[in-house]
Amino acid sequence: MLKITHSIRQLSLVVAGFVAVSLLLESDGLAHWADRLEPGPLRTVAAPTTQAIEKTLAPLGVGALRDAALKNLARVGWSDDEALLAEVTTEAGGGKSGPAKSTGLNSAGSSACVTTSAAAAGYAGTSGAGSSGAGAASAGAAGTGSASTSTGNGIAHAPGADVPLANDVPKTLSLAPLPPVEPGKPRVVALAGDSMMAVGLSATLMRQAAGDKNLRIVKAFKSGTGLARPEVYNWMDEYPAMVGAEKPDVVIVAIGANDGQGFVVDHKVLAYGTDAWRQVYQDRVADFLAMVSAGGARVVWVALPPMRVPVYDEKINAINRIAYTVVSQSPQAVWWNPVSLVADDQGKFREFETEANGQAMRMRSTDGIHLSDEGAGKLTALLMKWLDPPSPPPPRGTAQPAPAASAGAAEPQAAAHDAVAHKRRPRKTVKGQSARG
Amino acid sequence: MLFPTVEYALFFLAVLAIAWSLYRFKTVHKLFLLLASYVFYGLWNWSYLPLLIGISLFSGLVAQRIQKSQTHRARKGWLVAGVIVCLSTLGYYKYTSFLMTTMLQVWSRFGTPPHVEVYSPLLPLGVSFFVFHAISLLADCYRNKVKEPVKIADALLYVAFFPQLIAGPILRASRFLPQLAVRRNPNALRINRAFLLIVGGLFKKVILSNMLATRLVEPVFAVPQSYGAWDTLLAIYGYAAQIYCDFSGYTDIAIGCALLLGYRFPRNFNAPYTAADPQEFWRRWHISLSTWLRDYLYFPLGGSRKGSLRTYFNLMITMLLGGLWHGAAWTFVAWGGLHGGYLVVHRLWSRIGWRPLVRWRATTAWKWMARILLFHAVCLGWVFFRASTFDLAFQVLGQLRVPGLATLATGPVVLVLFLGLAGQWMPARWRNGFEVEMGRWPALARGAAVAVAIAAIEMLGPTGVAPFIYFQF
Repeated sequence: MLKITHSIRQLSLVVAGFVAVSLLLESDGLAHWADRLEPGPLRTVAAPTTQAIEKTLAPLGVGALRDAALKNLARVGWSDDEALLAEVTTEAGGGKSGPAKSTGLNSAGSSACVTTSAAAAGYAGTSGAGSSGAGAASAGAAGTGSASTSTGNGIAHAPGADVPLANDVPKTLSLAPLPPVEPGKPRVVALAGDSMMAVGLSATLMRQAAGDKNLRIVKAFKSGTGLARPEVYNWMDEYPAMVGAEKPDVVIVAIGANDGQGFVVDHKVLAYGTDAWRQVYQDRVADFLAMVSAGGARVVWVALPPMRVPVYDEKINAINRIAYTVVSQSPQAVWWNPVSLVADDQGKFREFETEANGQAMRMRSTDGIHLSDEGAGKLTALLMKWLDPPSPPPPRGTAQPAPAASAGAAEPQAAAHDAVAHKRRPRKTVKGQSARG
Repeated sequence: MLFPTVEYALFFLAVLAIAWSLYRFKTVHKLFLLLASYVFYGLWNWSYLPLLIGISLFSGLVAQRIQKSQTHRARKGWLVAGVIVCLSTLGYYKYTSFLMTTMLQVWSRFGTPPHVEVYSPLLPLGVSFFVFHAISLLADCYRNKVKEPVKIADALLYVAFFPQLIAGPILRASRFLPQLAVRRNPNALRINRAFLLIVGGLFKKVILSNMLATRLVEPVFAVPQSYGAWDTLLAIYGYAAQIYCDFSGYTDIAIGCALLLGYRFPRNFNAPYTAADPQEFWRRWHISLSTWLRDYLYFPLGGSRKGSLRTYFNLMITMLLGGLWHGAAWTFVAWGGLHGGYLVVHRLWSRIGWRPLVRWRATTAWKWMARILLFHAVCLGWVFFRASTFDLAFQVLGQLRVPGLATLATGPVVLVLFLGLAGQWMPARWRNGFEVEMGRWPALARGAAVAVAIAAIEMLGPTGVAPFIYFQF
């Protein structure tokens, strides 16, 4: 016979026991949770409270036990935190991926936290395959991690990030040709970004690339993440861990859908959209771009498409302008804007496209944010042609490759120069095409 | 607010404390829970709150009209009007673009259709669930299953009560409204059961479902071409386990939270993969939906009272519409059609009275064969349920013929897959025994044990929490 009689007093005691032990075991995680909250009333209350609790309970050493347990879980292959796995591998002497991590285990500790902030998940995270809650650098690290200079206020600046914000973004789809793929050496293509890459785009591209011996795809995307809040998910740690020992030749980036939110730097709340916010965010974008292109990779920065909800669309416009401002300064990166493929004639959000036979094709997923598989397919068809162009039939009686292509492949320096030249070429096209939208 | 978040934990603890401090004041207590439910829903998206309030208010008012009507005709008239409005709302939000694209597809078979801008409203969270609650209220009043006069506040809370608001279980008005009519009894709380349900639900969702999703199912369904037969088979099994753990985990947490507030929700899952026939499967899977469809669709269609052929037709219609309820896509309809087909085939099979076959069907060997057969038939349905298009579904199935190793079968993946499937065979007496055992512990120790369990789940779970699968429906 089950004992079913309880009282409110008993319930209170159970809850009290639960709360007390939870604070003891999770004070660390709660402090990280509060750190990750978007600036607002809840964060204002939660951050100092949880930090005080964490400070009070720190001498008990529960956090260290927890960190050790997480490391052990990573060692047996349980963890999915790329940065933690890389750290454990490096410590074990394997050194396979070997990315130097600027953050300690604390980042991994919070990354395994169940308590994902809804705010952190933001718009795009809610419909992605997964959401955030992932690794965090300590607040002090605030989004740096790459080689960068530091200003007096502790905010890091990547070279070239302090450029005036572009008024508009070009709508170009031009991509300078890549050097031909060498036989037996597939082109390594990293797909990086948040759910704008994870939902629709990555799967469609990987499906099209499956079986293509000239391409090797590296997955480097995670839904519910972004560049605005490295204390929530630090791409500067996670990207190298995701890429591991691979050396991408091309990185396709689609990121920023969750970045329309304020953040805290050095205990100062920077509200979304302010100049100070823009400055820090632009730096973070620049740092990220510098990191992904560090190994000489060509970077294709996919502009975020128009969004359904007008307020959100405004934010995405602003994110795009910042991203373009940064991308336009990089000789290795190309701004690639698919607006003409997925939007209507005015460049506005379009959920369905009417095909020639009169049928309607869904371009965007039902959340009004991500691309549908069909919509993504329009982008990936072009990207695939660029990544692995169909070989032209060899001219009769000769097997000589085209001179420009062979020069690019044979001479790395020439190839790099070529890349710069290619980079500049589409910009000229940009001006011509931007009037269209 | 997702259940496995600090935000929800804080919200729920606050609601729990205030609700029990107000329990002596029945009306205030209910109004507080209603307010809390609106806050819970509003934090997702405030703009859809008027729709939720509108539907529940409308159904409450119509329910009152049904109860007050003197003639059968008037009662039926109000019922039909109410159901039409509810279904139209659901249809508008969920099926507008589906209907338009389908019509254009059909039209294009016969010629070029006119240019039509396909329109698709944003889908309010949980609309399928709260509309079904509203219909249950109308139908139960029509059938005189709700004995007391419906109060508007009760109707509002019944439809919007936050533990079930987003993804069920679908409550019956006839069973839930009587709970609202009486004051909560703090001495009838099953605290241990509630916490076991919450911890078990978190374990299923955070560890099993999330790990299966990220490490097994998503990679294979994203790019099936990259995986051979073993990986594909494991991913299909993995999705069977994932969707069970995800959805039953959600409803276990919902049931546990409601129990702590003093309300009883019906059981929604009962070890579905232990079923040996499709009928039994539907008595064990998403029980609140399958009984809803049975009572409000299958029975009104005539059930099995109008001959064999009509029974089969009714079964198919019920399952096809059940499939469509899950989503506005033909893949869901195909999933429903498959299950309708299974039910029809099972009925035909059961009718065969050849004695050796009857004896064979009673053997343990056949029971196990039937279980395995049914599990694989259900898995086949899950492929269509999971895949976004038929092409993708057939591609996944086609990969079953491609030789290849089980590259995704790492130790953790195999372990969570085993737990997700085999956990359903855990005897009920284990959980009951543990509940009794917990009852012997001091209350503080029980709370501490729950905290340790949740901390362990948090550590063992993958990074982040994927949204619950059933939220999209």
